[in-house]
Amino acid sequence: MRRTLPTSGAAALAVLLTLTACSSKATGTQGADGDGPSTGPGVTDTTIRLGALTDLTGPYAALSTSIVNSQQLAVEQINDEGGVCGRDLEIVVRDHGYDVQRATAGYGEIAPEVAAMPQLLGAPMLAALSDDIVRDGLLTFPQSWASSLLGHREIQVPGNVYDIDLVNGVDFLLRTGRVEPGERIGHVYLDDDYGQNAVLGARHAAEDAGLTLVEQRVRAGESDLTGQAAALRSAGVTAILTSVGPAQLASLVGVTASSGDPVPVVGNTPSYASQLLETPVAEALEDHFFLISGAPAASSDLPGVRELVAAYQERYPGDDIDGGALSGYSTMRSLAETLAAACEHGDLTREGIVEAHRSQDLVDVGLGMPMDFSDPAQPPSSDSYVLAPARGADGGLVEVEAASTADAVADYPLPTS
Amino acid sequence: MSGVADILVNGLALGSVYALIAVGFVVVFTVSGVMNFAHGSLLLLGGYLTAVLHPHWGFLAAVTAAVAVTAAGAGLVELVCARGRHLGQAHVLTIVTIGVDILLLAELSRLIGSDVLSLGDPWGTGVVRLGGTVIAQSRIASVLVAVLLIATLFALLRWSRWGLSLRVVTADREAATLMGVRLRRVRVSAWCVAGALAAVAAVFLAAFPTPGLDRATGQVALAAFPAAVLGGLTSVPGALVGSALIGLTEATVTSYRTHLGELGQSLGDVAPYLIMLLVLLVRPNGLLGAKETTRV
Repeated sequence: MRRTLPTSGAAALAVLLTLTACSSKATGTQGADGDGPSTGPGVTDTTIRLGALTDLTGPYAALSTSIVNSQQLAVEQINDEGGVCGRDLEIVVRDHGYDVQRATAGYGEIAPEVAAMPQLLGAPMLAALSDDIVRDGLLTFPQSWASSLLGHREIQVPGNVYDIDLVNGVDFLLRTGRVEPGERIGHVYLDDDYGQNAVLGARHAAEDAGLTLVEQRVRAGESDLTGQAAALRSAGVTAILTSVGPAQLASLVGVTASSGDPVPVVGNTPSYASQLLETPVAEALEDHFFLISGAPAASSDLPGVRELVAAYQERYPGDDIDGGALSGYSTMRSLAETLAAACEHGDLTREGIVEAHRSQDLVDVGLGMPMDFSDPAQPPSSDSYVLAPARGADGGLVEVEAASTADAVADYPLPTS
Repeated sequence: MSGVADILVNGLALGSVYALIAVGFVVVFTVSGVMNFAHGSLLLLGGYLTAVLHPHWGFLAAVTAAVAVTAAGAGLVELVCARGRHLGQAHVLTIVTIGVDILLLAELSRLIGSDVLSLGDPWGTGVVRLGGTVIAQSRIASVLVAVLLIATLFALLRWSRWGLSLRVVTADREAATLMGVRLRRVRVSAWCVAGALAAVAAVFLAAFPTPGLDRATGQVALAAFPAAVLGGLTSVPGALVGSALIGLTEATVTSYRTHLGELGQSLGDVAPYLIMLLVLLVRPNGLLGAKETTRV
């Protein structure tokens, strides 16, 4: 027994030393050298390395692939244009398969060697990693639009948020006479971060307009929403908001359209996927569904969008371009602007990159999504487009209304404020 | 009141699909003593085959081929995995089915990816209105097909030689072997029947009001598990009663979920299992399960 004490002490010391070695932050080539900017992890004389933690093999593989492809396209274009700060950009992609443990391991692997993260997909992964991201001072763009993520200088929601989108969505219903004050509207939402964030906007908008909101929560695995549709029909709703997944939207719209008394359905971006246009409910979706989105449709006439669609289809022939591609590309272009600003300030350290990012009060990369990154507590934009499904259109969507912000957004208290 | 009618109609339609799956569980368990955990992925296999074949062959031929292949696949699982094991090792085969499930599911998930596959069924988004209640045509078809198939199964069990040998094996395996019943053949055929029923269930699980087949469709087989257990696991009529009960429970909870507040949200997940536990507390052998009699 006596001999085990020193042994275990030595073992503890060894573990402690190993842990210390692991936890010490890699600092790259920090420090100014001569005339060049100060550099931090991921930045060398020739390269700026960026990280993406995403789901290429799990449930969000289609969306993630679009984002990864479009960001890779943006990086290739930026490098062809001469790079940023005389350096080429490079993205290191790690697949987490929508598994928190794999995401944590992936973060541990790539975080020490990247300057920023233009993609982190998955709300549970972000929840697990947000403390590390803030501690490491690593500018990160989650592919999640919940306003509950606002408030951190290091974490940048890449567009308008779910709750404000729905405030704009209710405004669209009222403005176009699809709903009158005093009526009832339904909201079907997933019982997770996304749905719970969206319902805050729906409640605010309904109260502001004198509407009664009838809420229906659904579980992620549910794909037959007949019961929810029947309950909303019994409640006498004249429109339905959705913050669900594509399978659930198809079921809900299909059932309400077949009921003989269809009502308009207005949904957040994750509700829709262009694959739904190959199912039997395609016609019902075209007739009754509107998508509220911070990004324009891929079929938009905006010159920047047309150029992106052409470049994307040339680079990835046969792949359909969707909202994920637009968002991913816009994020990468914004990040390049941030890095250029940091270079101008002579500081490509992580702190310098975050500082440069927050100094930008209007970034417009020509995709119809001007963004203001200066206030971490506010979403970079509060505009929403109204889009509608259409077979044959790029991304399966066409524009119904250009981007605008409802008056009711002004007095909407964000959950983090 | 249309609310109650909605619940009844939706509950029974859901129950009819569960019945096709639960009867598969029961037939396999009765004959081989194995709880087939690969049932969900076999169901997904049937659905996937229908989805990829229907553009070329048409719906009916695709379903027929999918049913045949899934039945053969289920039979193969029994044939390969139970090889060289005697009946006392049913628990080993049960665990083997978990492995088969993981393998099959991984491959099918890879093939399906993030797509939502249409099975090309003839009902589309058609509905029938009865008073204030709207019923999808596919749901009516599922009830009719389930009744037809299960009635045929009952008839076969009651009047065919295969049914007789199956019942004998269920009653007393040893005596059946002594009387010349080919135990192996009966077991493989039971697995094939279960596989065929699962492939048919896949068609209705992926039909409107569900958007189509995705890789999570097979998980629905888990919802039929409590239906089989609370019916008694050894009784086909029990599985039917259990399926109807679970279908109605799910429809009721969905309909009244909003009125139940926070409790209602989690109740949707646990209600089938809660009913199963309650039934088993009162009737440990399930609703219609055979009582274990041991003479001392």
